[in-house]
Amino acid sequence: MVEQLSFSLGGRELLHDISMEVEENIVCAVTGPSGSGKTTFLSLLNRLSEEEEGGEVCGRIRMVLDGKLVDIHRHLTPSMLRRKVAMVFQNPDPLPMSIRRNIAFPLRLRGWKRGKIAERTEEVLRMAHLYDEVKERLNIDARRLSGGPQQRLCIARALAGEPEILLLDEPTSSLDREAADKIETLIEELGKKRTVILVSHHEAQIKRVASQVWRMEDGRLSVVE
Amino acid sequence: MKRFAELLLVIFSWLALLVFAASFLSIFVVLLLRVRGLDAVSLFFGDTPPVDALLHGLPVFDGIYPALLGTVSVVMVAVLCAVLPGIFTGIYLAEFAGPWAHRIVNLLVDVLAGLPSIVVGLAGFSFMVLLHNLFPGAPGPCMAWSALALGFLVLPYLVRTTETALQAIPAELRRTAPTLGATKVQNIFFVLLPFRAKDLLGGVILATGRAAEDTAVIMLTGVVASAPGMHSLFKQFEALPFYIYYMSSQYRDLAELQYGFGASVTLLLLCGLFFAAAFLLQSYVSFRFRGSSWLQK
Repeated sequence: MVEQLSFSLGGRELLHDISMEVEENIVCAVTGPSGSGKTTFLSLLNRLSEEEEGGEVCGRIRMVLDGKLVDIHRHLTPSMLRRKVAMVFQNPDPLPMSIRRNIAFPLRLRGWKRGKIAERTEEVLRMAHLYDEVKERLNIDARRLSGGPQQRLCIARALAGEPEILLLDEPTSSLDREAADKIETLIEELGKKRTVILVSHHEAQIKRVASQVWRMEDGRLSVVE
Repeated sequence: MKRFAELLLVIFSWLALLVFAASFLSIFVVLLLRVRGLDAVSLFFGDTPPVDALLHGLPVFDGIYPALLGTVSVVMVAVLCAVLPGIFTGIYLAEFAGPWAHRIVNLLVDVLAGLPSIVVGLAGFSFMVLLHNLFPGAPGPCMAWSALALGFLVLPYLVRTTETALQAIPAELRRTAPTLGATKVQNIFFVLLPFRAKDLLGGVILATGRAAEDTAVIMLTGVVASAPGMHSLFKQFEALPFYIYYMSSQYRDLAELQYGFGASVTLLLLCGLFFAAAFLLQSYVSFRFRGSSWLQK
């Protein structure tokens, strides 16, 4: 639940008085023209935008995490929040390490044991429809995968720590049709078990996967359907 | 015209490379010619039987073995002393320093980098004398003082390489680990530093080379022409650069001068050995962090 949220960077207001309520366990899409503030808004939901130099936030963001409604600025540190609210960016950003270590990284931060990490790695790679493609190559540098598999790896990594909310910033924009279809299928599946907030400007994609749509224009958000 | 300029650039680049290679080779060739015929065993151990020197610690009076040991020890201690402060100052400058702190620390590092080594040696010597006056039991000229002064001398190399390496990391990579829930410190130690480990080790290599070749600093703080016995951190010691300086300026006959050239070749080989070890370590670190891609390339 976002209440009267404004964000300015270096004294310039980029988002104005945004209020929004999203139901649990659905795919919610935010659409709008390029430069309208979609990515900035999404990054505010896990407190990334506010860490930029000169970033200032006004308003309140509350989320149901671990069954409780919490104010993300008052009750959680950014790193605690990001373990519950994972984000995947427009361009895949695998860490410069092996596929296996990429998935293990967020789990190690959470103090998981080695055996459990191995199980979870296989599980999330299967969820991301990537396991069969990479099961023989788990120890290669993740950056050697092509764009589609890299993006699915990033989604798998985001899912590894069992986040309650998943933020996806145009996850298919840099991919070909076939890779994009696989990720769309994955988003649909994910939306059944957790809240997914998807930023996209592909109308057709939004129609296929989202059950709630918001439109961002010049830093103002309005509900579409 | 453009093609002609390109051609000129290529020719000049090749010429520069040739000049570099020729200078490098000529140093080697001159040194190798000078040591031709020199008996390696007597160069290292003089009249002392090598087995007794190596296994039983028998003093070596005429050879460069004590100087070789002294150089290896003082360089290792100096780099060990400088690595942590150097890398952490670099991390501070790249990741935490505000504009003012950045300017001030940067200035200090620049000043330190520009200090002639004799000045660092003199400062080390003065500090040693001051400490000795305050605490009469404090050690006089010894390997520990030399190592500390050398560590001070190589600190800027470590600071700069760490800072530059961290600053060159793309913003996307910098953002990835925090998005997954890593704190800033976890991001630095688990992702950014390992990602740049090769460059950091590059800084250590530079520092090692610089420490190994310096004479002025150790001359004022602990090195002597002859210290044939066992080495200790709190005793005076022999070192190759000083041995070379001493032999080339005070030789009594050509045989002694040839010993100086022999020590020069040994110092070059020792530096080569340090660099080779560091290169292997760089490759190993890269392999450990990035998976097996290194083997499959």
